[in-house]
Amino acid sequence: MNELIPIMVIVPLMAALLISAFSKFNKATKIFAFVVAICLPIIPLASNYGLHYFGGYAPILDNVTNVMYHPAITYSFTFLQQIFIAIVGLLTFLVVFVYLTKYKKVSGPYLFLLFLGTAAVTAMILTDDIFHMFVFFEILALAQVGIVAASSIDYSYEMALKYMILGSIGSPIMLLGIGFLLALTGSVNVTDIATAVHNGLVDITSPVFLMSLALIFFGWLYASGLPPFHTIKSGVYSKAEPHGAALLQSFTVISMISIVLIMFRIFSTLPIFEVLIVFFSILAMILGVSLALTQTDFRRMIGFLAVGELGFIGLGIGLGTTFSLTAGLFQALNEILITALLFIGFGAIVEATNEVDTRKLGGLLAYHPKVSIMLLIGGMAMAGVPPLNGFQSKLMLVQASLNCGYPELSILAIMVSIATFVVFVKTFYTMFLKPKPKDLELENKEVPRSMIFTMGVLLIIIILLGIFPDVVTTGISNFVGGIL
Amino acid sequence: MKLYDQIFDVVKQFKKLFSPGPVTNADVSGSITAEIFIIVSLVLSAILLRHVNVLLAALVTLILAVVLISNIPLIPKFKKEQDDSLEKMLFYAIVTLAIIVVFMYWGGNLV
Amino acid sequence: MAQTQLAILMASVALIVIGVYSAIFIDNIIKKIIGISFIEEGVNLFIVAIGYKAGGVVPILMPGMDTTWFASNAAYPLPFGLVLTSIVIGASTLAVMLALVMVLYRRYGTLSTKVMLADTSKQEEYNE
Repeated sequence: MNELIPIMVIVPLMAALLISAFSKFNKATKIFAFVVAICLPIIPLASNYGLHYFGGYAPILDNVTNVMYHPAITYSFTFLQQIFIAIVGLLTFLVVFVYLTKYKKVSGPYLFLLFLGTAAVTAMILTDDIFHMFVFFEILALAQVGIVAASSIDYSYEMALKYMILGSIGSPIMLLGIGFLLALTGSVNVTDIATAVHNGLVDITSPVFLMSLALIFFGWLYASGLPPFHTIKSGVYSKAEPHGAALLQSFTVISMISIVLIMFRIFSTLPIFEVLIVFFSILAMILGVSLALTQTDFRRMIGFLAVGELGFIGLGIGLGTTFSLTAGLFQALNEILITALLFIGFGAIVEATNEVDTRKLGGLLAYHPKVSIMLLIGGMAMAGVPPLNGFQSKLMLVQASLNCGYPELSILAIMVSIATFVVFVKTFYTMFLKPKPKDLELENKEVPRSMIFTMGVLLIIIILLGIFPDVVTTGISNFVGGIL
Repeated sequence: MKLYDQIFDVVKQFKKLFSPGPVTNADVSGSITAEIFIIVSLVLSAILLRHVNVLLAALVTLILAVVLISNIPLIPKFKKEQDDSLEKMLFYAIVTLAIIVVFMYWGGNLV
Repeated sequence: MAQTQLAILMASVALIVIGVYSAIFIDNIIKKIIGISFIEEGVNLFIVAIGYKAGGVVPILMPGMDTTWFASNAAYPLPFGLVLTSIVIGASTLAVMLALVMVLYRRYGTLSTKVMLADTSKQEEYNE
């Protein structure tokens, strides 16, 4: 049923519009949002692989040059899209569930932003059209800013405005790069552009082609929060509500991989492309983890760690072999799950204690044992402790960089993992194990059950993926073989 | 003796980093870990230059190691440059854009 | 022919450079946002310039037109379609930014970026 492919974008988009229009009917909105959210992970799993041409304009074969042209906006749906859309759909469901159970009176605009963001990332990873991707990228940026501004945390408006101002530099620069590509090839369809580049119709040494790479690459840095945008990205995570932050980081990861896969298909003939990606990934790993070590606000710490982990994804993609790309994409999947678990878990602690400074916390293990054990396992998964899923993907990355002849990168990856582990040991000790400070008042507040349920679901997936990584890696490896 | 004093002065410098508020031993040890991590990882990444030129890699690694170690503590400086003010964020974003564009225009075909 | 296109391209480069300049050097947040939106406008102008064709006709196939003549004389319509979408996005982004500035102006009573969007990590950590 290929009709389900556009439905994946249309359902959250329509749900967003309807919810914001009819948000005064509180009960109906709640039920409707819950039903739509439950549909989101099911639709991609029920759909068949294939292509969808909007407007029904099938590709045209040019008889003279024997090249296919794609006049329509094309959505291509394969295993990679399926797994990522299903995961982000599941995460949206969990986040909406946490939100609906937390408040009696739900806010229509906030649910609108959550669903809008999900629709935008779904379209970004499905699309085969670089301008279509840019449009949804901008919509995603608006949704992200809204989610941050809607939170009740201090200085969230300031952070949202900063993110927006940086975005209004990053996005037009990316559009300029797309304009360069359009000027060179006359098309915005990625398959057409890639065919033109690989068939030698475009001079890949020309400054225009190099400039388009540079400009789209800068836009990608903004989208994925690699340096120099790591401070704003971690700030945005720390200023959103915990469940919002869990969704925001999944948006970041998916927009990162969808843009980088498009760039990979177009620019992989240029050797400098891989150098650029590896350089910024190393920078992200070093800066992200070293800044996470010095934070006292634990939300900010998770934000920096999330940025540092993005470096692993970039490393896998920058190495450019089938195995390393598989490892990088698998790491992306794992990171979405693990970071969501951590954000929601630490959010539960904020909920119970109203405190974000690790120096004022302590002894929480006795009060919230379930949350602390789940957080410990999540932290171990992020640091790459076997048999959790982070271990599998990081092991693959280390092997991939050894196979490519870069043992330095393997050592660096292991070192970053160890430093991540240090961050967790330190935070876990200061928050859960060290004696409770006298002035810390725990008002016997319980952690909401919905949050514990959410963490449990994510934890089960993390452990299952750690034990059976082949379920995902085989499919991703087939996909990567198709684009290389 | 100067380097010795400098290394033991690091902890005092970290005190300023965490003010206002108390400085706990976990925070200081975390900062020292970050300090060592940043030196080692930057030196390690400099070795990657051997794929360009072995002599260059050796030279850059040595110089980087000496510069980084003689400038400890690095973390307060790093953190100051990466705070949340919009001015610094914009400045670094524009500088990165300029570097990428210039590097790609003149050096894009060298690799 | 080429002069017109070149002039448009130079104008777009000038707009982008002004935008980047104002991003770093202007302190007033409203002026800064206006300046940054110049980058977006410059990019739009650049994409419009790609579709320019000297002596071209509007790319609408009217009844009775010769298709081969039309194909060789019509301007390239794709860039215009893209720019239209891009302008709409730019306008909505600008609106959201200015709305946030309004809220922040009420809180701080100033439009200076140095005051309004300064580093906040120190204040919030230990003042709760």
